[in-house]
Amino acid sequence: MTHSSNNTAIDDSDRRSPDYPLPDWRQYLRFSQDHKVIGVQYMVTTFLFFLIGGLLAMLIRGELITPELNLVDRPLYNALFTLHGTVMIFLWIIPFNAGLANYLVPLMLGAKDMAFPLLNAIAFWIIPPAGILLMSSFFLPNGPAQTGWWSYPPISLQFPAGQPINGQLFWIVSLILLGISSIMGAVNFLTTIVWFRAPGMTFFRMPILVWSVLSAQLLQLINLPSLTGALILLMFDLSFGTNIFKPREGGDPILYQHLFWFYSHPAVYIMALPAFGIFAEVLPAFARNPLFGYRSLAIASLGIALVSIFVWAHHMFASATPDWMRIMFVVTSMLVAVPTGVKAFGWTATIWRGKLHLDTPMLFAMGGAAMFLFGGITGVMLASNSFDLHVNNTYFVVGHFHYIVFNTITMAIFAAIYFWFPKITGRMYTEGWGKLHFWLTFVGANLTFFPMHPLGLQGMVRRVASYPPEYQDWNVIASLGGFLLGVSILPFIANMIGSVLDGPRATNNPWEATGLEWTTTSPPPRENFAEIPQVIFPPYNYGNPRAYGEEPLTQTGEEVSNDENDE
Amino acid sequence: MTRFQSTSPHRDESPIDLERIRQKFPNWFQRFLPSGGGSHEDHHGKGMFGFTVFLLSESIVFFSFFLTYAALRLNTPDWLPPGISGPEPTTFVMINTVILLSSSVVIQLAERALSRHHHSRFRGLWLLTSLMGTYFLIGQGIEWSNLNFGLRTGLVGATFYILTGFHGLHVVAGVILQVIMLLRSFDRNNYNHGHFGVSATTLFWHFVDIIWVILFSLLYLW
Amino acid sequence: MPQLLEYILLTVFIAGLIFVSHWLGQQAYTWMPAQATAEAQRVDDLFSFLVAIGAFILLGLVGMMLYSVLFFRAKPDDYSEGHPARGSAKLEILWTVAPVLLVAWIAFQNINIYEQLNILGLQQIVQLPFGMAPATAAIAPPQQSPETAQTTPKPAAETVQVIAKQWNWLFRYPNGVTAQELHLPVNESTRLDLKAEDVLHGFYIPEFRLRQDAVPGRNIALVVTPIREGKYRLQDAEFSGTYFALMQADVYVESRPAYEQWLTTVAQQPQAFRNTATLEQQHPPQTLFKTSWYPGSSDPASIAASFADSFKPKDDRS
Repeated sequence: MTHSSNNTAIDDSDRRSPDYPLPDWRQYLRFSQDHKVIGVQYMVTTFLFFLIGGLLAMLIRGELITPELNLVDRPLYNALFTLHGTVMIFLWIIPFNAGLANYLVPLMLGAKDMAFPLLNAIAFWIIPPAGILLMSSFFLPNGPAQTGWWSYPPISLQFPAGQPINGQLFWIVSLILLGISSIMGAVNFLTTIVWFRAPGMTFFRMPILVWSVLSAQLLQLINLPSLTGALILLMFDLSFGTNIFKPREGGDPILYQHLFWFYSHPAVYIMALPAFGIFAEVLPAFARNPLFGYRSLAIASLGIALVSIFVWAHHMFASATPDWMRIMFVVTSMLVAVPTGVKAFGWTATIWRGKLHLDTPMLFAMGGAAMFLFGGITGVMLASNSFDLHVNNTYFVVGHFHYIVFNTITMAIFAAIYFWFPKITGRMYTEGWGKLHFWLTFVGANLTFFPMHPLGLQGMVRRVASYPPEYQDWNVIASLGGFLLGVSILPFIANMIGSVLDGPRATNNPWEATGLEWTTTSPPPRENFAEIPQVIFPPYNYGNPRAYGEEPLTQTGEEVSNDENDE
Repeated sequence: MTRFQSTSPHRDESPIDLERIRQKFPNWFQRFLPSGGGSHEDHHGKGMFGFTVFLLSESIVFFSFFLTYAALRLNTPDWLPPGISGPEPTTFVMINTVILLSSSVVIQLAERALSRHHHSRFRGLWLLTSLMGTYFLIGQGIEWSNLNFGLRTGLVGATFYILTGFHGLHVVAGVILQVIMLLRSFDRNNYNHGHFGVSATTLFWHFVDIIWVILFSLLYLW
Repeated sequence: MPQLLEYILLTVFIAGLIFVSHWLGQQAYTWMPAQATAEAQRVDDLFSFLVAIGAFILLGLVGMMLYSVLFFRAKPDDYSEGHPARGSAKLEILWTVAPVLLVAWIAFQNINIYEQLNILGLQQIVQLPFGMAPATAAIAPPQQSPETAQTTPKPAAETVQVIAKQWNWLFRYPNGVTAQELHLPVNESTRLDLKAEDVLHGFYIPEFRLRQDAVPGRNIALVVTPIREGKYRLQDAEFSGTYFALMQADVYVESRPAYEQWLTTVAQQPQAFRNTATLEQQHPPQTLFKTSWYPGSSDPASIAASFADSFKPKDDRS
């Protein structure tokens, strides 16, 4: 076997990208079928929604800085938290993860593109109209939906009283559209992962991020249709006068809760699993250790997905659920802690005795992993129904899930953005600004979300616009932390825009990381690889410098030792 | 050659050798099983895999409706409001059902004809399927207009019309797909890359029929 | 002997962890509101237990991460491997089995305490929709259903009906008195029959550690035994619309004589009905951003009238 000279990844002299012209920015505004363009479209669009959702959160924290009402009136407050939750879940984390996976999965598998490029493009282009539809409900006469992102009936059926075109209907239609987009994406991911792996890329050579995407997308396919069903029924109750969820007419509102949480609890794992995958990519690269317990982490991803299908009723401990159901769901919910624990132990062991490089992606990944431990432990507390009955629907729950969705998942997303920024743009970001961004975010996030735990223990209920004065102290801290979080995003935006326009050129593999995506150019060409790669290494092969292009292969290409049997 | 190429055979790190197990299955089934990688070019295979996954997911919307229906019905002592008989399996409905179910056989025969390159036979059977589907839709319309309850007649009305309506939408989609496939069959180069569209429509049609069997049992026979 | 030193350090670390997490577990009691029911003590015990275990795991793993950050730093250009271990079957099995045992233990503790709470007392047979005529509602008497046999609430000295209606709490006492305050005799069990008139509401008094949703069309019973006299706040804890935050009521736990005294006083002199939502509608607070998104039928007079209706004595629905 000889190496042809046009391979850019062989010797050090041309490991730097050739002077690739940066991709034409106009292609990102077009209906492109390139998974990399679609991935960037997803990520940029959802980041804009993240800013909108963050703005709504600032307003909420602004109102809560004092016990009385003085910034927004009650209907506006209710609309703010409803849309904040909806935007952050359905227009930020879930589609951002889809975008990141869109960019990375084909590259990591050694494929030219996703399995169904046209479907991929359609799935993306559903998102902007659905998001705009949702936000446009601010201009309706009765305002947007005001009943929380759960929209439990009968309250969600009561509010638009008499208005056929109302915010609740817009909310339902928008969510159904986003659901269709997610299902299209899920079908595409599953097919890509099963069919489009390069020769030699067996299942147990896939990076953990691919495993997590696989698990998360399986959950989308199994659980999301239940939400779609619930929303269709809710729409009929709302707009066509049926009575399925109307208790006064024989319907059953608790049924909606079952259908809703059957999706919306696994939705947390749909959001979190890719974050776990990001940790599993970033931590080994910056600790220079192989991922510890690769196989158990891969199986744990599927395990989390499997168990999380059967935990939904732990959101309903205080609803009128029977005893046996409560006990059963206590046990299943606790069980989720086992595969999750396996992951956390694996990360810690990966860092242990490593050679740590504390670059920005590593800071975000370690910060996110540490705060995930906190959120996970409060999660186990909440799974204990006796304790849950005290804090159910209080700020303790709000604090818990923000430790997951912000302090873990959004931190992981930032880690991913910094980590793959050189690959996506072909440029390096500015390290100092990245570190500033990390420290502002880390401090701000803890200041904002930690005070919610004592507030909840003391009994402050969520979704209140005004509250008894004894809760004010912690609320002031949380609000100031929230504003700090708002500020923390500015260095990030500046860094991203500045670096895309004028950053130094990135090499193909600036982090010396393993993984197929680092073997191609930065940014990768249209079909990703000059040739379909043959995979001969196990994943995270940091013991073998050739796995990340440190030394060229021997003349014959013979493998001396590829560390497959090191365990 | 890329860096990742090697003469040494690649080993699967999985505890079981999936690839060897996979090859023990018949060809048509292999396409649903995970491979050891390198199967990019099988357009029909990946298409059918994706479409099957989609249908399995879609069936969960129906199951959420079925479960809602069952839960409501089990917990409501007087399911039928006074003076309302509810949906009944009349001869008319039975004929409708038989037509829809037997169209599944017809469409399967059509697909087989196409695989054997009997194009005119395929077109004939295919057209027959869509006519049977259309008959079913018209029959459903007549059934709807003859019932003595409406969408707002208690839970029985709401669930009946939502469930049959959602199924009916799928039948409409199936008939539209059939018409498109029929028109495309006149294109000379249509089957150069296999007949994924025809296979997918066939699968979809079976799906619609299976859902109808469950729906019919729940709504008419319970 | 670096090996020995490591073991000593590890022992010291774990001993420190146990000490700190135990201490945090004891501190956890002070993070909770006052214990006003016997159940509250049990819930706090569980919370303390969870905090101690959680702190041990959290501080242990974060401690290892911090140690790594401090002592396992690479030189800037050193991209060689840290250590070659790709995994360890023993360790991986250990940290799968250990969490299983741990959560089993937690679940056992929790269920144990939950059994002692016996708060639910939820009568599952009472799904009696509003519009249904009693004749058609062929509901089995509670004592005949095996399911209810298990979930029959604890025996209670008093029964108070709790009626939740946007956005007020109403309480109907055995002597027919209706009031906006919940009065409970101390050290006695009182059965609360939760009813929601319109949408879901959540019955929640932080000091009682018990929360239960009220669902329209269902009768849900909750038995509480307050053990500490004082004034508490009942807050709606399931979002119920525009004025959700205002849906509060005062709860008084008092001695039996004081309770009887209050009942007779109110029977003679009914309290004036006070609707906080209507009051706020009449005098809306000054806010920077104003909307016109308030729900329809905001005519204060009609709302007040409909509430006044609830004060009239009615037959028990159950």
